[in-house]
Amino acid sequence: MRRAALALLALVLLGLALYPRVASGYGIRFMLQCFMWIALAQSWNLVSGLTGYVSFGHVAFFGTGAYTAGVLIARHGWPWALACLAGGVGAAGLALLIGYPCLRLRGPYFAIAMLGLNEVMRVCVSYFEGVTGGGLGLSLPTLQASLAIYYAMGLTGALVTLAAHLVVTSRFGLRLMTIREDETAAEALGIPTARYKLAAFLLSAAGPGVVGGLFARDQGYIEPISVFPLATTITMIVMALFGGKGTVWGPVVGAVALFGLEELVWARFLFLHQLLFGAIIVGVVLFVPQGLVGLLRDRFRLPRYV
Amino acid sequence: MSDAAPLLEVRGLVKRFGGVTAVDGASLALAAGRIYGLIGPNGSGKTTLFNCITGIERRDAGEVRLAGRRIDGLAAHRIARLGVGRTFQVIRVFPDLTATENLLAVSWGDEASARRRGRELLGLVGLGRLADEPAGSLSYGQQKLLELARVLMMEPRLILLDEPAAGVNRTLLNDLLDAVRGLRAAGRTVLLVEHDMKVVMAVCEHVFVLDHGETIAEGPPAAIQRNERVIEAYFGR
Repeated sequence: MRRAALALLALVLLGLALYPRVASGYGIRFMLQCFMWIALAQSWNLVSGLTGYVSFGHVAFFGTGAYTAGVLIARHGWPWALACLAGGVGAAGLALLIGYPCLRLRGPYFAIAMLGLNEVMRVCVSYFEGVTGGGLGLSLPTLQASLAIYYAMGLTGALVTLAAHLVVTSRFGLRLMTIREDETAAEALGIPTARYKLAAFLLSAAGPGVVGGLFARDQGYIEPISVFPLATTITMIVMALFGGKGTVWGPVVGAVALFGLEELVWARFLFLHQLLFGAIIVGVVLFVPQGLVGLLRDRFRLPRYV
Repeated sequence: MSDAAPLLEVRGLVKRFGGVTAVDGASLALAAGRIYGLIGPNGSGKTTLFNCITGIERRDAGEVRLAGRRIDGLAAHRIARLGVGRTFQVIRVFPDLTATENLLAVSWGDEASARRRGRELLGLVGLGRLADEPAGSLSYGQQKLLELARVLMMEPRLILLDEPAAGVNRTLLNDLLDAVRGLRAAGRTVLLVEHDMKVVMAVCEHVFVLDHGETIAEGPPAAIQRNERVIEAYFGR
């Protein structure tokens, strides 16, 4: 069973690696965005799905990564791959700064603090025009690299998912889950919850930082409203919930399913797609709060690595 | 034993909530390897005292020492890692984790031996067959037993049990009491909060009585039952 799953996974990865050879430009762009959503939903899952601390501003890390990488590329001539990694480091740095005070807030207070963080970041980026270009945005030197970015984005999605797998199947992951289940009990039983939350938060910020950098390089132009939209946070949350928060494959399934669906419907019915997304949110929360993968896991008693 | 520092010593502990003084100068001293009871009427400060010892609440005054070392003021998780394990009055298992995972999450050191030990402990409390069930799907009594196994998983020097008999039927109560006696046989030190006198009399060797946050009496259970201050505290003058 496990071997078959691994073989299937290897096959899918091989297929994705070879896909650009046969794909159209649209196909590559479609998959690129799919990878991006996988990485984002999975990163959100790492902190919110496991510890239960719902981050309503995760796009702040995406935007921070985008601007870190963008500025390094445009103003300092860094190679883009390195700049994107620096975007991940920058986002993790922000998480360290913000996580230390904010992770002491419980429940809705944390969610709102994170929402505020995103607004603050957007305003800061708009304000410091000298570095970021402010509201005019930041243009990156032209570069034809969508194939390389396809692979980089795919690798990021895969690495974040690998990280989720390693975390969820370890005692570290179990301890993060105890925070979600009962933080006071966890603390009384010897789990240093503050440190664990911060570690999960840093881990969950790095991926979006790298992805933001790749997004900036791919688009060639970023502005505050394009990399700090609240809608992106909402989308990654919905994807993770739809697939199954706290599971390894839930965010992947959610990202692929919802992004695929969105592309399909959006192209045809511009208005209907908003409605559909809203209906999915309500439906999931009401009927399958544990998500698709969570539902399967509960029903068939599947192990954690699913 | 008498010249060594007590395993746990609480001296003059005070905890206030706004204008209410929940614990008002309580003192206890526990020697290693015995089973102690902490009794007192409802609202006498038993659970608050527990919470102060385990660091869940910050005490306002007083000292707590574990084997001579000050532990008041330390974070709850540090106190737990120093060897103070506890159960809760209201069950607090991790419902989405399996029984085994509940134990693994609080284990440290080598994982393979932790798994082995977890299996043993679940067998010991009679939950061997339910090892892979989510804790939330277990019955009330099974969850109580799981909490006990979980606190043992921490290999604590001192075990604090908060009302183990609350809401438990007679059969399960006997299982729990057997388990507590088993702890003593294994040389562990237990402090049990309970307001069911029968339970206290059945397992404890030494009893502290708390009233209005103060230790008003201590001694062997038989003597405590006859103590006038205790009777007064429970039944009024």
